[in-house]
Amino acid sequence: MELLSYDFVQRGLITGLMVAVSSAVAGVFLILRRMAFLGAGLSHAAFGGVAVSLAVGIDPLLFTALFTLAVGNFVQLISGRRKVPGDAVIALVFSGGIALAVLLLGIFGGFSEHVFGYLFGSILMVTTGELIFSGAVLCGVLLFFLRYYRKLLLLTFSEEIAKVQGVNVRVLNHLLVSVASLVIVLAMKVVGIILASSLVVIPALTALMLGRSFRGSLLIALATAVSSVLLGTLLSLYYNLPPSGSIVGVMILFFLASFLKKLRDPQ
Amino acid sequence: MQVIEIKNLSFSYDGRTDVLEDLNLTVRRGEFVGIVGPNGAGKTTLFRILLGFLKPRRGSLKLFGENIETFRRWDRIGYVPQRLSVERNFPATVRELLDLTGEDPQEVIALLHLNDLLDRQFLRLSGGQQQIVLLGMALVRNPDLLLLDEPTAGLDVHFQRHIIQTLRSLSVRENRTVLMISHDIGLVLRTVDRVLCLNRRVRYYGEPEGAIEAVEEMFGIKGVRDGAS
Repeated sequence: MELLSYDFVQRGLITGLMVAVSSAVAGVFLILRRMAFLGAGLSHAAFGGVAVSLAVGIDPLLFTALFTLAVGNFVQLISGRRKVPGDAVIALVFSGGIALAVLLLGIFGGFSEHVFGYLFGSILMVTTGELIFSGAVLCGVLLFFLRYYRKLLLLTFSEEIAKVQGVNVRVLNHLLVSVASLVIVLAMKVVGIILASSLVVIPALTALMLGRSFRGSLLIALATAVSSVLLGTLLSLYYNLPPSGSIVGVMILFFLASFLKKLRDPQ
Repeated sequence: MQVIEIKNLSFSYDGRTDVLEDLNLTVRRGEFVGIVGPNGAGKTTLFRILLGFLKPRRGSLKLFGENIETFRRWDRIGYVPQRLSVERNFPATVRELLDLTGEDPQEVIALLHLNDLLDRQFLRLSGGQQQIVLLGMALVRNPDLLLLDEPTAGLDVHFQRHIIQTLRSLSVRENRTVLMISHDIGLVLRTVDRVLCLNRRVRYYGEPEGAIEAVEEMFGIKGVRDGAS
């Protein structure tokens, strides 16, 4: 318990919990829109943004957020035209982001400490600025989902019915992708680029296994994400484990439990 | 009042072969129109044009007297698609779906006898029950024009009769316009005010009694009159 009195632990936990809430809600909508792979694509593309900001010497979090927003909307723009399969466009930005990062880090070099933090997360090294940024994004994300809850649910149910009921499907898809991009950038700080999409995908997937209603599923996703971040961080502190690995490990355990329950209960 | 007015409308997916060719059609307020035609005749494509999802290659289309290009009152149209491609873990209940429109669904729940289904998940319902819920979702907003793509497919006779009686009453008592695609020719001929026989072009458009010959010719079958009675 003494560990929890440290400022850096408190900052990390608060940030982690805020990221858990925003990624759990976004994840449910993304999975139901069959966009689960978008999280992995965007987090890896974001690595390109991190590399650019390190090379140029500007604030990595803010720049990477803008960079990922642009990439996410590019993916939506191209896949929305239905000329190229959506998953292929995501694969394109996935590898494109990594390639950009490899090139820039190779040319400029000397950022190995930062790069390690971004690749594997550094929840216990969150600065006050990053905490405030996470809080602002969480507020934006929650406002977005509260404001567009009905339209988003309709969109996940049927794009055609949503269109007929006056939903501007194109704009809403872009907004959803924009929110997902910001959530991914935050998740990147907590669990790193490689594991960022797990915060978006695993709690939502667990919830969709167990949920008996849409609202119920959202609550289960929130509970899974929040408890995973809390338990994972505490485990890492007490057993000196990497926090990102422990957080994702706990999430996977939750998923396996829900999967086994689903197997035993076909209804 | 004319709810739908189509003049010389053609549509093609590839820019070469017309799926719909030189269509002319007028549907008035309160009419119940049944659309029949073989697979690939352009029935669903016609609906997708009416809903603004597809743009015609030639010709004009007016909804409630307004050109489709400038038409924005989509709340006046209710749509029940033929099939949905919902993610397999979609968890929403019938109640949650009926609440989506923001309108009070109580009247529709009573009309379609949905009370027992309210707390069940949509994806756990039978195909027929799902169709009824989709119809309910369309009706909650009190649309003036209903477009129904095979609304009775997969329904047992009891549900089928109930749906058709409901649609009939919406058309006759509430003066709402209904366009219904169906492969059940007998049902269409027994139920609707006007029949549209569509096979790329309009083969027949008029009262059900006169449609039998066009239907027999379009499908290459005989004895439709006996099946419709």
